[in-house]
Amino acid sequence: MTVIARRLAGHLARGIAMVLVVATISFFIIRNIPGDPIAARYQKLLEQGMSPEAAERATAVMYGFLPSGTLGEQYADYMTGLFRFDLGVSVTNPGTPVTAVLGEAAKWTVLPVLAGTLLSFLVGVIMGVYAAVKRSGVLGDLLAISGSLLHGVPQYVLALLMGAIFTTLIPILPQGGTADILFEPGFNAGYIGSLIEHATLPVVTYALASYGGWILAMKSSVVTVLGDDFILAAELRGMKRSIIFRYVARNAILPLFTILALSLGLLFGGAIFIEKIFNYPGLGFLLIESVVNRDYALMGGAFLLITAAIVVANILADLFYTVIDPRVRSGEEAAT
Amino acid sequence: MKRLAAAAVLLSLAAVTACSSGSTTGDKSAGGGGGLFTTIDVNRPGIDPNAPANPYNPKGNSFLGYNAMKLAWIKNHMTDPNQFYPGIAESWEIAPDNSSITVKLQPDNKWSDGKPVTAEDVRLSIGIAYTQGSTAFAITPGAAGAAADVQVVDDKTVKVTQDMTNPSAKFARGVLDTYVAPAHVWGSVLPADFWDKLKASRGTGADAEKAREEITALGQKIIAFAPPKDVSAGPFVLQRANPGEALLVKNKNFYNAANVAPDQVKFLNYTGNEQIWNYLISGKLDHAGFTAAPPDVMNKIKQASGANIIKGYSPVAVGLAFNQSKKPYDNVHVRRGLAYLIDREQVVKVASPEGGTPAVTTSGIHQKPAQEWLGAELGALEPYKHDVAKAEEEFKAAGLQKKDGKWTLADGTPWKLTMHAPSGFSDWISAQENIKGQLTENGVDAEVVTVADYPLYLEEIAAGKYDAGFWLIALGPAPYDIYQRLYGASNGWTNVAGKIQHAAPGKGGNWMGGAEEIDVEGVGKVNPGELTGKLNAADAEAAKPIMLQLAKTANRDLPVIQLWDYVNTQFTNTGRFTGWPEQDSDLLRLPAGVWIQLGMVKKTS
Repeated sequence: MTVIARRLAGHLARGIAMVLVVATISFFIIRNIPGDPIAARYQKLLEQGMSPEAAERATAVMYGFLPSGTLGEQYADYMTGLFRFDLGVSVTNPGTPVTAVLGEAAKWTVLPVLAGTLLSFLVGVIMGVYAAVKRSGVLGDLLAISGSLLHGVPQYVLALLMGAIFTTLIPILPQGGTADILFEPGFNAGYIGSLIEHATLPVVTYALASYGGWILAMKSSVVTVLGDDFILAAELRGMKRSIIFRYVARNAILPLFTILALSLGLLFGGAIFIEKIFNYPGLGFLLIESVVNRDYALMGGAFLLITAAIVVANILADLFYTVIDPRVRSGEEAAT
Repeated sequence: MKRLAAAAVLLSLAAVTACSSGSTTGDKSAGGGGGLFTTIDVNRPGIDPNAPANPYNPKGNSFLGYNAMKLAWIKNHMTDPNQFYPGIAESWEIAPDNSSITVKLQPDNKWSDGKPVTAEDVRLSIGIAYTQGSTAFAITPGAAGAAADVQVVDDKTVKVTQDMTNPSAKFARGVLDTYVAPAHVWGSVLPADFWDKLKASRGTGADAEKAREEITALGQKIIAFAPPKDVSAGPFVLQRANPGEALLVKNKNFYNAANVAPDQVKFLNYTGNEQIWNYLISGKLDHAGFTAAPPDVMNKIKQASGANIIKGYSPVAVGLAFNQSKKPYDNVHVRRGLAYLIDREQVVKVASPEGGTPAVTTSGIHQKPAQEWLGAELGALEPYKHDVAKAEEEFKAAGLQKKDGKWTLADGTPWKLTMHAPSGFSDWISAQENIKGQLTENGVDAEVVTVADYPLYLEEIAAGKYDAGFWLIALGPAPYDIYQRLYGASNGWTNVAGKIQHAAPGKGGNWMGGAEEIDVEGVGKVNPGELTGKLNAADAEAAKPIMLQLAKTANRDLPVIQLWDYVNTQFTNTGRFTGWPEQDSDLLRLPAGVWIQLGMVKKTS
């Protein structure tokens, strides 16, 4: 058995145990959230002017989809279902399995968050290197300040600001949704353009919110590596600056790859405020709605998906590190 | 290699730019120019593209009045619950004693797939309604206003008979308020022996119970039913949906298609009121239903090009409800004192200047229908106008003491009125803050506690955890609906198979803590729950004296202080369409799809 295979097996076992523990904890927490979602929906409809009988009809059906039985029985059902990838049926989307609801929402979260993460990583890393190399110059300072500022601004503030600017003051971007429904979905310029247009604000906001972290981390990492003896030795040997830069970049980026892999684990739950503010129907939005509606099955499913993604990302980060950093690999081999 | 990469990046950027510009012009003109109607369903946030075109599914892509049709559309009448506009039904005849209704269908209406709409479609839809807990088609034994028989008279006529053992004045309303689904698409959702099962469910014993369970279980199957494609008898039919929008196109087979102006309808989803405000401010929507908005937002909405706001009667009022199981709120003088101290004009000015009008008094009825129901007697009710001196008199009558400018309980212990409101209900919170200010100014210590959300608020208020909280009342137009919010389950009365029972204060859901019998000045001893129960079957004439007794009871006993009566505010835009309903129109509670299908809405020339 290779080192990587052994590590993978260990990680998987721990990961599955972790998911089961989290599933159990979240099950009991969720089931103990107080509140009567159906009464709330009924009253809300009344306030909006719906007649009592229409409001009753609109809400009565939801009762059939609420979990029944004792808490122990519900837990047993939930865990049995979990092993069959059956997360139950949503109360707010009656008749639709939770997995289908999550699947639909997940694609609208993963793509923009992935794009935002990669964009911010790319720009942040490049700017971070530049800020480290030029750290005594004005530009280096400006880059570092921009990173600190953006890192300090909460995601939702940035989202509100971007929304106010680009949908109200200069209304050049759409206020929500995934694509204009007038375009036939498919591989055509109009539809793809509309997808990009609608994703622009969420992606750019996510990228801006994450960029600060990357630039600061990369700058710090580069500065540390620049002070290492092997860089001094390379300079003394008269190596080309481009080769030295490659040494610096390779060593400095290692910790950032780990952070990147871990942040990919947040793909499924990392944009709650952005989705809510931009009316972008991804998992974050779904999670908020499921909490408001006390949709236990959906809440449980969303938490589970986020947990599983983080566990998988941790495993991948660890394995990835083993692959890209020879020191870790050789250390493991020496130990065996 | 580097040049190649650079060229590839540039090409990608160019492609993206080209695609983006295509989305803002290009195909959009194919939307039919002025024929695209953009709207929002305020009752249903979120559009689920995977949801079926199923009107029974809360998330279904069936939009009431557009591609989801009912037999008829209920008018927003002040007092009569049995006034309708035609829908699938062209006309109807209600028996004088309310024992039956005979419905005649539109003679020329067809489904979007070309098949005619027939009485069999209605019969199947009534069968489906039984599985959904519908009022006229309830299977609960002894339910008020339930149908006893459904008879297909001919291809275009259906007769529905009421079970007169526990009749309801709202029977016809319950029948005509039924969705109609195409039998040739939905036929399979009901088993062949459904009508036998229904007959069995009306009996007693284990077999009847089993039949009821089976019918209820069918409800879930029906909610999940997904027709292969939308087949509509309304003015539009669903073309497609994505998570942000749904597109409907005109149904050329609709009986009044010639008078349906828009070629297409686009529904936008929303996740919060802020998005609706933004859509309205930017003039994007042709119509949006009632959405609460603070004054500054409302001003911006009004300034949008073509903005047209229509206001009318909304049969809802909000009251500050007391938990009479807690001291000192069990004392009517304390409640009256608070009513005199609260200046409702000021509260509404701050909290809901556009969405409500200050209540003229506490009668339990919205002020507009109150004039119809009570006539001159409305003026005889105590108005509880802001009057500090009267408040002090009432507090003294309750035995409260004033020390150092602050009111205390009779035994001298401090008194603080704690009001609860759910987070996010900005109008309620502003109102309570204003009330707190007014009370504090006059020596009554008060506080406002914000609860995490509405589901929690309702659970806790029902559990009797609060001193006072806001409660929706006066739901019209049916008299029973008006008073069941005051003298129904929340005050301990339940109506089981026509028999009224009362639970003691603080028990059996009686969170308001009202007594079973109240001695009302000028009326005598009153059992308000019993009287409310009688309203279920009473016609308008029989209901009037009961309504008066209940109004006097509510006015003197004050289980709630009626603060403001809601106003139905509808947002429309004249930029692309005209012909909107007039102010105070009885169409205002109906979806804009009904206005369109009735041929009122026209393209702006």
